[in-house]
Amino acid sequence: MRKLVVLATSAAVLASISFAKEINVGVVMPMSGPLAAYGQVCYEGVEFANSLQPKLKNGDTVKLVLVDNKGDKVETATATTRLISSDKVVGILGALTSTNTAQVIAVADKKQIPVIAAVATNDKLTEQKQFANRVCFTDSFQGAVVANYATKDLKLKTAVVIADQAQVYSLGLAKAFTDAFKKAGGTIVKEIKVSSGDKDFKAVVSQIKTANPDMIFLPLYHPEASMITRQAKQVGLAKPMFSGDGVANQTFIDLGGDSVEGYMFTDFFDYSAPPTQKSKDFIAAYEAKTGKKELNSFTALGADTYNVMINAMNNCANPSDSVCINNEIKKTTAFEGVSGVINIDKNGNATRSAVIKVITNGKAVYKSTVNP
Amino acid sequence: MDVTIFMQQMVNGFSLGSMYALIAIGYTMVYGVLRLINFAHGDIMMVGGFLGYFGIAILELPFGAAVILAIVGSALLGMASDRIAYRPLRSAPKISLLITAIGVSFFLENAFNVFFGGVPRAFPVPAYLEVVVDFMGLTMPVSAILVPIITACLLAMILWVLYKTKYGMAIRALAFDVGTVNLMGIDANRIITLVFGMGSALAAVGGIFWAVNYPSVEPMMGVLVGLKAFAAAVVGGIGSVGGAVLGGLIIGFTEVVVIAFLPELGGYKDAFAFIFLILILLFKPTGILGIDFEKSRF
Repeated sequence: MRKLVVLATSAAVLASISFAKEINVGVVMPMSGPLAAYGQVCYEGVEFANSLQPKLKNGDTVKLVLVDNKGDKVETATATTRLISSDKVVGILGALTSTNTAQVIAVADKKQIPVIAAVATNDKLTEQKQFANRVCFTDSFQGAVVANYATKDLKLKTAVVIADQAQVYSLGLAKAFTDAFKKAGGTIVKEIKVSSGDKDFKAVVSQIKTANPDMIFLPLYHPEASMITRQAKQVGLAKPMFSGDGVANQTFIDLGGDSVEGYMFTDFFDYSAPPTQKSKDFIAAYEAKTGKKELNSFTALGADTYNVMINAMNNCANPSDSVCINNEIKKTTAFEGVSGVINIDKNGNATRSAVIKVITNGKAVYKSTVNP
Repeated sequence: MDVTIFMQQMVNGFSLGSMYALIAIGYTMVYGVLRLINFAHGDIMMVGGFLGYFGIAILELPFGAAVILAIVGSALLGMASDRIAYRPLRSAPKISLLITAIGVSFFLENAFNVFFGGVPRAFPVPAYLEVVVDFMGLTMPVSAILVPIITACLLAMILWVLYKTKYGMAIRALAFDVGTVNLMGIDANRIITLVFGMGSALAAVGGIFWAVNYPSVEPMMGVLVGLKAFAAAVVGGIGSVGGAVLGGLIIGFTEVVVIAFLPELGGYKDAFAFIFLILILLFKPTGILGIDFEKSRF
């Protein structure tokens, strides 16, 4: 027994005097399952930002601990608990979708571990949660951007909204758009609910064709959105279609084929118009390493969750102090990130610009930037 | 709602329902001989879709050849699953067999997930199947029109095999009593393998049609479809081939009607389909065309 005590004490002493510590930062991402297309590109950004800046100011090394949540709610909660209790992470990045991020936050908030979400845009996520933060904009902003662009720039007056019953993101964005569209003088002629995993939308597109709106707003993810565009084309429904960031990846274009030509969506960032010096450097380094000329916006946002986290850790006397890290995250002002200039308020919400893109010849092409 | 729109929605329902029917036939056939609900059936359909995808996108085969590859490959896989997973449990309680079927289903889903990733892939659809036909204001792509036709042809073929051939007679006999069939000098295992092969081939056709109509393939694509086809088989009366087709159409129509008349509740259309299943089971536990369990079959 005495031997054990001596061993434990000496181990503790050793640990405290060793200068370069390793600090764990957890990442929860859907690396497999239906959301894998997004999870993989987003994690790529986290990982790459980590490789560019693996050490803190004081010489400590930051180690990423990745857990795959398979895009599932329950798996997400388990993954978060595991990261906190057995990997002793000081902060958590990710979980991608709003539904799953809500699970991460629910667990982490109780244990006082800060969370930075990359692309979870639902408004309610950060409400009454002290340890919830994000580097993306919220749905109320995103919905308003689409509504204003449609009513003012494109002069569209009536819209059909297709929302996904099973996604918090979709319902929130649908509501944000509906409110903003009505406020701008537009009319919602029909609201149709679908559910994640649906493939057959012939009945839905037939309905929309009858309603004959000026535009269609689809706050969905790419699997459902791409099937709707295909089936809409089959029945000859050719109205302007708009989505949020849920379709912001190449898989959407691959799945939709030529039926997504002219499709518009909001995104956080576009590599062809790098907003900061840091974006330019990151894109150059990324290109040198991967040979890819493009940088997905989810990759950029993923990188920024890591950058904001490191920045906050550097501002703390003890970079393992989760409460201090959380306070520092909420003080982020005019932070030059890869995806743009980020300000995070005391509620953990980011204020940042949005870009609008149009799919032209099988590529998402930058159209304009909207500032808050 | 005017007549054209109503007709259009009916056509939509018919096409969707035929798709479910095609897959439901496989469930019902295996159930008929083994009293096994083969939960891996939906995943065999997924494998069929993937084989078609590999055939076209990687081996660069013409569409027809890819379909044959998918059918043969899936039939072999179905027979292998019987040989490896189900045959050793032939005399075990039915519940062990059911759990094994769920295991096979998980195995296939996860194996494909590990090897090919969970990102949906675009299925290369031949252009002639994407042509949209316009008939008196009703629009439908060729692929969706082909589904009911092929389903009807395959149904006729299955019925012919069951009632006009020696093998069919053996299958029907097997549905009554496996022991006696063995005593009559028929190798029951060979007939069961044949049933798995036929059922899986149908699943492959279903998988290809699914991938052509909703052009993407991913490892989880068979889960919900399989569940609905299973519901269809039960509604129609599990064990009855005609019932499976009827059940498939009913489930397809239910979904379309929900969206057509209650768009706000469209997200709950699966719930409606399953509520319908519960109602049928409450009032007619054997399903619409189901005959009393232990007597006649097919």
